[in-house]
Amino acid sequence: MSVPPVTLRRVFWRCLFLQAAWNRRGMQNLGFAYAIDPALRRLYADPGQRSEALRRHLATFNCHPYTAAAIIGGAIHHEELVAAGEEPPGAPLEYKQVLQGPLAAIGDGFFWAGLRPFFGALAAVGTLLLGWPALVAALLLYNALQLWFRWTLFRAGYRAGDEVVLRLASLSLPAWAARLRDGGAILAGVGAGILALLAAGRLGVAAGALTIAAAAAGVAALWLRARLLPAAYVALALGTAAGVLAVRFPGGR
Amino acid sequence: MDYLIIAVVAGLAAVERKGFLQAMLARPVALAPITGLVLGDLPGGLLIGPPLELLWLGAVNMGASLPPNEALGTVAITAGAVLAGQVLGTGVTPAIAALAIGIGGVMATVGRSTDRAIEEWNVRLAARAEALLARGLPSAAVRTNLYGLLLPFAVSALLAPAAAAIAVWVIPGVLHGIPAAAAPLGYGWAALTGVAAAAGARAFRSQRGIGLFAGAAALTLAVGWLAGGIR
Repeated sequence: MSVPPVTLRRVFWRCLFLQAAWNRRGMQNLGFAYAIDPALRRLYADPGQRSEALRRHLATFNCHPYTAAAIIGGAIHHEELVAAGEEPPGAPLEYKQVLQGPLAAIGDGFFWAGLRPFFGALAAVGTLLLGWPALVAALLLYNALQLWFRWTLFRAGYRAGDEVVLRLASLSLPAWAARLRDGGAILAGVGAGILALLAAGRLGVAAGALTIAAAAAGVAALWLRARLLPAAYVALALGTAAGVLAVRFPGGR
Repeated sequence: MDYLIIAVVAGLAAVERKGFLQAMLARPVALAPITGLVLGDLPGGLLIGPPLELLWLGAVNMGASLPPNEALGTVAITAGAVLAGQVLGTGVTPAIAALAIGIGGVMATVGRSTDRAIEEWNVRLAARAEALLARGLPSAAVRTNLYGLLLPFAVSALLAPAAAAIAVWVIPGVLHGIPAAAAPLGYGWAALTGVAAAAGARAFRSQRGIGLFAGAAALTLAVGWLAGGIR
């Protein structure tokens, strides 16, 4: 027996709540059970069997919330085989345990350390230059991409089961992540330049120079592992002190 | 009414940030303009959002690690700045934004502590789900997952308006009491945005990051200068 497409879509919708009750013991276990439940209801007409299957999926689970979609799809694939008597009941759990670590690493490296900050920087630079339309465009593009990835991974997991790893490898996500990180550093630099130009436009050349000096000092401090919020507060205080001097001795403006 | 709106925005952002969707709507670059918009000052939100985004670009939830709660910090800062700007009749200025960050920025750190407490509290939800399953109530057991959205909503809905209220009390007091502070605080804001951009570059952990960041900043300045600056 296979799970009908309407149920698969329902499971995919529930994947978006994977971290709703993230907890220190089972992590995303409740979210996983919540997401896969519509499929289990279809596969196991007997309530006892459904409860037994749900119990398997309440085991500790933690993955990246986007790439986890592949594992949820793959778990349904294995549950279909279990329901048909072609696999032992432990097979879906084994599948989850094997894949959650590698897919978490891929998701963290590509989405959290690459794609999302890249789009954050792009949206910030776009907003500084063009206002809210650029922000809306960046958000729409990011969400089209992330939802496409999630749905594609979910479908690939469901159709291919264990083969989803090969499909994922063919996307070369680590290489793309490296490019996005370089692009993001460039966007942050563009942001620094625009912020300096804006400060110069508002308060004079000295304020623009102060922004650049703070950016340079910030780079040095943060690369030396200074804590972020204290560094920001120090910049605020020193910048204000410099402002007192600039206002008192306006020749520097 | 404004504080109720702030509570709802902060609560929804807390839910979107981790529990549901993760579509960047709780990121500062989106959340600050949304907060500004619902409080009647979109330009104020657009002034604050980009620097905060760069500042907290590295705030991501990897594995079991907990970053600062940038969403709570953003709503607290933006709401405080917008409401203070309305009290002063100036809208959000760089001086007001600087003071709002000084007051509301700590909420990101407070939010990290509350996030940790919520994750501990959610262990009870997992235990409750197991108990319901043992009693033969599978639908009720899986529904427990959704109850995990309530506490983050409630905590942020309480903390963000409280921080905004403090900002509304302090900022007009400072700028009315010491009118000459506005210009120096504008310089403070300029310095803070520079550090924010540096934090953005740092977040990418690119091996060539410093060079790319510096080169792009220099090129942007040169182009901007030739074009006559940005207003």
